[in-house]
Amino acid sequence: MFAQILTNSLIAGSVYAIMAISFSLVYSSTKFFNMAHGMIAVVGGYLVLTLTKLLGLGAIPSIILGIISTGLCGVIIHFIVFEPLKKRQSSSTTLLVASLGVMIIIQAIISILFTSQFKTLGANYNLGNIYTIASATFTEINLVTIISALSIFAFLIIIFKYTRFGKIVRALNDSEEVATIVGIDTKKTIRYLIFIGSAIAGVAGILTGYDTGLEPTMGMRLLLKGIVATIIGGTNSLGGALIGAYFLASVENFGIWKLSGEWKDAIALGLLIIFLVFRPRGIIRK
Amino acid sequence: MEYLIHIAIIISIYSILSLGLNLILGYTGQLSLTHAAFFGIGAYAIAIGETKFHLNFFLALLIGIVVAGLLAIIIGIFLGRFRRDIYALASLGTNVILFSIFLNWTNLTRGPLGIPGIRRPEIFGFIFQSNFSFLLLCAFFSYLTYTILHRLLKTPFGLTLKAIREDEDVLSSFGYKVKTIKTTAFVISAIFTAIAGRLLASYITFIDPSTFDFNESIYFLSVVIIGGLADLRGSILGTIILVILPEALRFLGLPSDLAANLRQILYGLALIMMILFRPQGFLGKYKM
Repeated sequence: MFAQILTNSLIAGSVYAIMAISFSLVYSSTKFFNMAHGMIAVVGGYLVLTLTKLLGLGAIPSIILGIISTGLCGVIIHFIVFEPLKKRQSSSTTLLVASLGVMIIIQAIISILFTSQFKTLGANYNLGNIYTIASATFTEINLVTIISALSIFAFLIIIFKYTRFGKIVRALNDSEEVATIVGIDTKKTIRYLIFIGSAIAGVAGILTGYDTGLEPTMGMRLLLKGIVATIIGGTNSLGGALIGAYFLASVENFGIWKLSGEWKDAIALGLLIIFLVFRPRGIIRK
Repeated sequence: MEYLIHIAIIISIYSILSLGLNLILGYTGQLSLTHAAFFGIGAYAIAIGETKFHLNFFLALLIGIVVAGLLAIIIGIFLGRFRRDIYALASLGTNVILFSIFLNWTNLTRGPLGIPGIRRPEIFGFIFQSNFSFLLLCAFFSYLTYTILHRLLKTPFGLTLKAIREDEDVLSSFGYKVKTIKTTAFVISAIFTAIAGRLLASYITFIDPSTFDFNESIYFLSVVIIGGLADLRGSILGTIILVILPEALRFLGLPSDLAANLRQILYGLALIMMILFRPQGFLGKYKM
């Protein structure tokens, strides 16, 4: 039982980690809580659904195409809605409200196009193998999820540490104004970051689609878990986001062992509240 | 005619709510995303009070106000610690937790099944059975809300609220107890919201948790923002616009599922357009 719960935490934590990493990328570049970010993840899932089931493409090309288009989708929304607002020096609260508007629009469009019924991505691409280690079972897609989370994390750390782009991003995170003064094209860099963040969110949506299935309202849940993990871990730190995600997933999974499954969301948000009150800068303080 | 009365009742009920929300959102400048939960607390208070304990509407109303008020004090004190987007996030968290209590405390709320058979209000043997009499009751409450808030905003307390919106730090350096004032505003706002919830429950005689989820908080937000922040007439105008606009969709004869989604798109678009092109709303005095 204990091993299974630990495995479940690892699996759920990996999805949260992908969401948290992508959210913290978007958050650190735009400095506001983008509530539409969860819906971007869902868009990724539904794009793959369209490509595989309606257009009949193979799983791998669909996933690659889906991830790229999700990234573009994020950039387009940023360009249409958030950039004009930023130009006007709008407060982060205003941007948050605008993103709520974006969120309910995307959710409604998806409901109209695909109905609000559960849709699963699975059938076309067989990931049916089931493994058992130390009395804990998990599927192949679970394994893919864990590997994806860790490799996305490693990939980003390498990029931010060792490339010129990474240096620019770090300068941008320290101070957007100074970065602009020294001649960095901050607007372009932010767009790149939004692209990467949205694409990674797309990965989370696609993985969830293969694992449990897609529904239009799942965006909110994905987003909340991502935000909670980011806050628990400490904003502006990818490592924090990762730790926060696994911590959140463990608390949730051990919590529902004692309570019951329906209280999962309440446990997550309860944890958020505890952290906001007692440790608002997260586990890793910066 | 029945249809017009129905629209008028919905407008009266929601205008109580948007007036209450404007107090915290527009005047005090705190982005509360938890009001749908208080709407729910009001509705459940009347539903449980009536169906389980067979209380009179007005008695249940009173008890509901006390319950919502006490809860609002706790949540208000908690939220008072935060500012701006963290306030929004913390209030969102509160809404999710309260929603999951509505949904999962099945012994009390019957969970997703909802509570049917809520009666219309009754006072001294008179039952507000016809929709017209119920409209009068709702309009009375809505008038009462407007007058109370209008008076309140003219008092020194009301002026302090606006000062909090402009600059919390300056105000606390003058020795004002900013947190207490924010909490008080939140409690008043929550109580009005709960009253609106109570009226809605006894109007549609049935409630289930889906009416009180987080999306609903976004609708309330758009009503206040579109009508105008920090303007009471704006809240009423916003309610009228956002109740009537989706009704137009009904006349197109669309299936209800599609109509609901189109309504959501309409709300979202209106919200974004307003923020982009007229950030103070139609009648507002304060830009977001």
